[in-house]
Amino acid sequence: MLLQGNFSLPFRSPLSLRSPTVHHHPRRFSFAAAQHQYAISDEDLESRGFTLRRTIEDLNLDHLNSVFVAVGFPKRDTDKIKVALEHTDSLLWVEYEKTKRPVAFARATGDGVFNAIIWDVVVDPTFQGIGLGKAVIERVVEELLQKGITNIALYSEPRVLGFYRPLGFVSDPEGIRGMVYSRKKKK
Amino acid sequence: MQTSSSSSSLCAIVPVDCIFNGSNQLAYPCSFNLGLLRGSRKLKISRLKAGFWESIRSGLIKNNSTQVIEPLSSSQEEEEPLPEEFVLVEKTLPDGTVEQIIFSSGGDVDVYDLQALCDKVGWPRRPLSKLAAALRNSYMVATLHSVKKPAGEEVNNNKKLIGMARATSDHAFNATIWDVLVDPSYQGQGLGKALIEKIIRALLQRDIGNITLFADSKVVDFYRNLGFEPDPEGIKGMFWYPRF
Repeated sequence: MLLQGNFSLPFRSPLSLRSPTVHHHPRRFSFAAAQHQYAISDEDLESRGFTLRRTIEDLNLDHLNSVFVAVGFPKRDTDKIKVALEHTDSLLWVEYEKTKRPVAFARATGDGVFNAIIWDVVVDPTFQGIGLGKAVIERVVEELLQKGITNIALYSEPRVLGFYRPLGFVSDPEGIRGMVYSRKKKK
Repeated sequence: MQTSSSSSSLCAIVPVDCIFNGSNQLAYPCSFNLGLLRGSRKLKISRLKAGFWESIRSGLIKNNSTQVIEPLSSSQEEEEPLPEEFVLVEKTLPDGTVEQIIFSSGGDVDVYDLQALCDKVGWPRRPLSKLAAALRNSYMVATLHSVKKPAGEEVNNNKKLIGMARATSDHAFNATIWDVLVDPSYQGQGLGKALIEKIIRALLQRDIGNITLFADSKVVDFYRNLGFEPDPEGIKGMFWYPRF
């Protein structure tokens, strides 16, 4: 599956204004080719009736929105979702052949060279627990690595930290904290 | 700060943002119509400076050595569109040179200048082509430049990049702020704070509600004071195989 390795994280967002943070020089990735050892292969997914899709073509945004709502996201305007998807670097969704509906989804935004953030990771509750979430994350990460992006981050709700950890994600590495702007809390 | 008692609408300290507001009663030269501020970077700066000097000539008390142009009150902030470029701070140095710190969200950054600034704060070198690509692919790039006008001279093109911050975004819901830096010689003056405040404001005005960032432990408090909350509702930032 995913290889543990000595690859570095040179360009996480260096937000220190005064003291420089420690950075490492990027390494060449020779493991990229070996990455295609997913927990569930593309063929496996196909045989179970799931198709991997990497563009918004044929993606019904209302159906996608209903998956978001089903997992507890606030309902968002589909026009805005469209704009977001058009300005997304990578996205992946799983289409259930029988219904042609999206049952899993993830997307990543970023600057295309250094950083990427994975957003909107969802699996339809009816299809959870069979490896679709893992399949989607593995492939999004792989695509980002292929582009040379090594600083891959996301914001995880507390109840799914255990989902991301086995996939290689570490929370608060070296004390780096994810922060969100809150209008209410503004001084 | 003394305020000239005669001019009512033209105070010595005028929120600079007001100058760009069409409804303000200042008889302001057209050169400040941002629509005209296209063309070369140099031209932009000299027009900005020329107009600015004209505007304050009538209202300034000569003895003021430092003029800090204060941010607007929060209600005004939310309504008035942030101009793409404006003077954040102006001060007169002991030798009579006037220095302006200019904020710009236009994203016009010379990558060589940026690399030099990154060197100054001690960040490792990144390939210039990648730096350029990262800037191009960023939703917003905000910069601070210092422009110095030596005493007795009219216009000059002596500008220096002293700060930058950029944000990536999906143009709809989320934005993430990266690469915030201020020249060490200019730190401690609230410039980093101003950079972030302006970026936040610009993002909110574009209706991008989820503004995020990842902060090294040493600067968590800096961002807390600007309205950022770490781990809101227990949500954690995670990184894929970070290596330290």
